[in-house]
Amino acid sequence: MSEPALSVRNLSTVFEDGARTVHAVRDVSFEMRATERLGVVGESGSGKSALALSILGLIEPPGRVTGGSISLGGREISELSDRQLGAVRGKDIALVLQDPMSALDPVKTIGSQVVEAIAAHEPELRRAAARRRAAELLREVDIPQAERRLDDYPHQYSGGMRQRVAIAMAIAHNPSVLIADEPTTALDVTTQSQVLALLDRLVEQHRTAVILITHNLGVVSDFCDSIAVMYAGRFVETSGVDHIFLSPTHPYSEALLKCVPNPERLAQGPLPAISGFPPDLAELPSGCSFSPRCPVGRDVAKCHEQAPPPLRVEGAAGPATVECHFAKERVGEVKV
Amino acid sequence: MGGVVTRRIVGSLGAIFGATVLAFVILRALPGNPARLIVGPLATPQALASVSHQIGLDKSIFEQYWLFISHFFQGDWGYSYADGESVSALIGERLPATIELAIFSFAITMLFAVAFALLVTYRRRPIADRILRAVSYLGFGTPPFFVALLLLIVFFRSFHVLPGPEGRLGLQSTPPPTVTHMYTLDALIAGKLGTFWSAIEHLILPGVALGLSSFSFIVRLLRANLLEISREPFITVARGKGLRRWTAFRRHALPNAFLPTLTAGGLVLGEFLAGSVLIERVFNWPGIGSLVFDAIVKQDYAVVQTFILLSAVMFVLVNLIVDLLYAVIDPRVRIPSVATA
Repeated sequence: MSEPALSVRNLSTVFEDGARTVHAVRDVSFEMRATERLGVVGESGSGKSALALSILGLIEPPGRVTGGSISLGGREISELSDRQLGAVRGKDIALVLQDPMSALDPVKTIGSQVVEAIAAHEPELRRAAARRRAAELLREVDIPQAERRLDDYPHQYSGGMRQRVAIAMAIAHNPSVLIADEPTTALDVTTQSQVLALLDRLVEQHRTAVILITHNLGVVSDFCDSIAVMYAGRFVETSGVDHIFLSPTHPYSEALLKCVPNPERLAQGPLPAISGFPPDLAELPSGCSFSPRCPVGRDVAKCHEQAPPPLRVEGAAGPATVECHFAKERVGEVKV
Repeated sequence: MGGVVTRRIVGSLGAIFGATVLAFVILRALPGNPARLIVGPLATPQALASVSHQIGLDKSIFEQYWLFISHFFQGDWGYSYADGESVSALIGERLPATIELAIFSFAITMLFAVAFALLVTYRRRPIADRILRAVSYLGFGTPPFFVALLLLIVFFRSFHVLPGPEGRLGLQSTPPPTVTHMYTLDALIAGKLGTFWSAIEHLILPGVALGLSSFSFIVRLLRANLLEISREPFITVARGKGLRRWTAFRRHALPNAFLPTLTAGGLVLGEFLAGSVLIERVFNWPGIGSLVFDAIVKQDYAVVQTFILLSAVMFVLVNLIVDLLYAVIDPRVRIPSVATA
């Protein structure tokens, strides 16, 4: 088997705020093949965005990556200096951020920001050539009249167009891995599906591996081929995308899935909510961090005392890795 | 762009008009008859009437107002009642000292504000941040004349490192040949480094005393803006392109964070240019502030009203320039949003 496009081992990130230590990412490991599309889902504050920034080495103080290794196409990057990482960011691994309104600098032209992405790794490129390349990129993401619109400012673009620009900047150097942090959350449904279709086409063309961070399970089912459910800084269930929708094994995955609005379940009454609140990442419960809210393990002593190890299970739609003491029992029986 | 410029210019003219009305009304509402002041308490009623006629007090109030502003904008500012000199000569003589101090103080204020704001935001120095916040609280809350006296006690009386309140130059230096009326520049042009240095030394204490509270205000504004902007997603995006931290900060955080500071800077410069009565008194600075202080004491109307108008006009002009600069820098002001089109 060839080298994975991205391999993350035991990655941990904390934010230290005086006496409090917030454990945003806790010992997360995963691997991605080229062209693989991994959806990372979870509630707000589950550590999804911190994971994205940790991989890129962009965690700012008071945050700090405390351990783990990240290798990109076989090359270890977690030990690199910020300067060395600069040569990797935007070239081999790129980022698209959630909010298209604030992902572009309001006082710089679209053209200059796209050119900046190009020039960051091709400093010898002449201005005119970089500008032509920027126009090409904008055409590639379907911006009409690309040349003319290079000199416009972000506020002259619509939300969907700004998100396309953000994607154009990210794919400028054909990165092998693209991290998209909620790229469609701020967009209306039509624009959302257009942006996803565009992303789909581009990563297909360039054989890019994509980490799509979202809380929208619908987006994951359309776009991704594998999924990681994140809870309190950990991947609690990792599997192929079909598995989650057919037989979610972790009680949290099951609960998440039941919260998705779906016309077929209208008859069953109002949408259920997951009771309780996500845990305070500075004061995690002992044992399984979902145990205080878990319908299965709420009253089970083991769940409160012992953190569940990752268990490999075989579901109806393929294998999964689940961090639940009851994974083996549940994998066959849960149906949605 | 054209629309913004027109609006700002019309707004500025409106502000100047308001200032002229205010200056006119206030001076006429004050107790005391200017004609009586000129002729003195023992003059005959005929003499009083003749002077009243001469300075237009017998005309209708609208006529008086019209004469007042038309003379002002023609540069005909009348004569000082106190010493008979023309007001334009008096002000022309004093203005360069105030402008030199204002520009010097403004320059060090902005320089230090930017340097300290960068130190605590970009360089993330938590201890420096705490000290800076304490200093800026003190600086903001302490009256400038008190700061001035304190500076004099420490740097002049106790340590003798800087000159005392003796005006723009030391006694052993002679003013350089006049070119720009700024002693520092004129000394440089004449090649007299000793005089240049003396002029700078004499600027430091009044400059610091004048600028400290504005420094406190601007450094806090800039610090808050830099912190806010450096958390913006577009900074992360810029870093994600592979830019170094400083490059991303310089290209994207600084320009955005400077926008509000630009407006604040305009207000500060406008205020400095109008001269500080107290600071100029404390340092014996021969500027507009001292002139106006004397004029108020002597009830020298012509000088006071010209000063009020002139400082209003300067203040409005500086802020007009700032607004126009703002439109140049911030495309959101200049170009309407067509996102919905």
